[in-house]
Amino acid sequence: MNSSRRVASACAAVLAVTLAGPLHAESTEAAKIRELEKKLERSLELIEQLAAKIKHIEQASAGLGDAQTKTAAQAAKIEAIEKHVSEIGGNLSRRASEDGLPMHGFADVGILKSGESNRAAKGRKGAVLGMFDLYLTPRFGDRVKTLIELAFEAEQDGSTAADLERMQIGYTFGDAATAWLGRFHTPYGYWNTAFHHGAQIQTAIQRPRFLDFEHDGGILPAHTTGIWLSGSWGLERGRLGYDVFAGNAPQINGVAAGSALGTAGIFSPAVNAGTYGGSGNLNLRHVGSTSHRTSTGFNAWFEPDAWYGLRLGVHGLRAEVVDDAAAVNRTLLGMTGAYATYHPADSWEVLGEYYRFRNQDRSGGTGNHGSWAGFAQVGYTAGKWTPFARAERARLDQTDNYFGVQANGRSYARLAAGLRYDVDPKAALKIELHSTRQEDLGPGVSDTYPEIRLQYAIRF
Amino acid sequence: MTLRSALRTLTAACGFAVSAAAYAELYVVANPAVHLDDSDIKDVFKGEKQFAGAVKLVPIDNGAAQEIFLADVMRMDAARYNTIWTKKSFREGLIPPPVKSGDIEVISYVRRTPGAVGYVVSPPPNGVILIRKY
Repeated sequence: MNSSRRVASACAAVLAVTLAGPLHAESTEAAKIRELEKKLERSLELIEQLAAKIKHIEQASAGLGDAQTKTAAQAAKIEAIEKHVSEIGGNLSRRASEDGLPMHGFADVGILKSGESNRAAKGRKGAVLGMFDLYLTPRFGDRVKTLIELAFEAEQDGSTAADLERMQIGYTFGDAATAWLGRFHTPYGYWNTAFHHGAQIQTAIQRPRFLDFEHDGGILPAHTTGIWLSGSWGLERGRLGYDVFAGNAPQINGVAAGSALGTAGIFSPAVNAGTYGGSGNLNLRHVGSTSHRTSTGFNAWFEPDAWYGLRLGVHGLRAEVVDDAAAVNRTLLGMTGAYATYHPADSWEVLGEYYRFRNQDRSGGTGNHGSWAGFAQVGYTAGKWTPFARAERARLDQTDNYFGVQANGRSYARLAAGLRYDVDPKAALKIELHSTRQEDLGPGVSDTYPEIRLQYAIRF
Repeated sequence: MTLRSALRTLTAACGFAVSAAAYAELYVVANPAVHLDDSDIKDVFKGEKQFAGAVKLVPIDNGAAQEIFLADVMRMDAARYNTIWTKKSFREGLIPPPVKSGDIEVISYVRRTPGAVGYVVSPPPNGVILIRKY
């Protein structure tokens, strides 16, 4: 019984195995077919996509042919329009150049805090308006030139002063000679003509004090009304330039009354007594005067090719200057000096100017008087930042009528340092710190004071 | 074209464009009435040289090529160049060079303006003279 069961079980097993083989093979083929069908579907999709792309490309190619034809025609039209626009622009440029009024200018505002407190002056504090300066360069032809400059400045009494800073009309004979007639920046040194009212183009905020403008107490005539000849030549080893000029000699007005000017053996007893009396300012007499006196001067410079950015110069000024004291003083102002500037294409800016005075008293018996003034400034530009420093010194003989009667005619020493940031090529933000020692305030009296200034300056 | 090969082609094209710009040729041209030495070019564009004989020189800037011109010829950046002209204008009443938009405008201006001196990046056509090729 058991053996018959075993045989039956074995037969069933063999049958099961025999039947299971074909069934398994059948299911594997079906799976393969399904997979092939899927692949075929994907291939068909891909073919359809490719066919669509080819169709799109064919359409684009057909359109491109048309577009190329159109582009050629449009290019011709664009070229014609460009030429037309160019001609219009050129005509406008030419008209602007010949008939227009190119107008440029400078403006600056700022904040200051001065610690000056002595018998000569009290320092100011607070927000300040600087100068609003406009200059026009109308052109009438190839050789006729004009420069007109108007400056507006807020005064301490609240009024606004408008000054005709320059009005000069010139004729250019060639590179070697341009003759100007009118009122111009006196061409001594470098600073006075290079920067003048252009606060934005000078690295520092303030001018060297002895080069201040006349109305700010400057000790030299920053402007002259007269004739000025200027030119330069290109030489084999560099460029040589010159300025020669002659004009109305300045007069000193506003001299304190009762200071016995001209009669004292040593000028300005008020100064020596510590009661400071000099209060005069230079009057440039730009409309002539009933008692004409002439000032003359020169400036000659050389820029060597071997040292790009370097300029070396010498300069001089001579004028008989009178004042409006009760007993009029007459002084023959004689200034000679030299200067050097170094400003290569980038990075460094070095300026130095020296002024030596040999003034002759022509109304009293005090003879000749020697004085000097000078400054040196160094700046280094790194990107938009330019730190700078300057040292100034003026040793002015107080027995010299010319300096003694002037408000800023005292000796001084100043150290300045600052930082300039170019907000953009036409706008600069600057900060400047000074330490000034004011001398000649009386026997043994001096005043050392700090000052800080902030300036935001633009040009246009 | 695989992404990698496309990037490779793009990189090569960019490299070529950059190198082409970096080594672009520059032609300083002038009106035929101008007789100028190539050593005068800097002085003309700094306003130092204003006349060539009796002819008043009129320098023209090319806005599209100014960066190359200032770097290769004047050896200064635009800020310094503009400051030089501001000082020249302020001190001497000179008018800074007008800026034209590109070669076509420069060539057109130089052709019709006696004394005009400009610069272009494409070879100069007839009607102007070549002062120097950089």
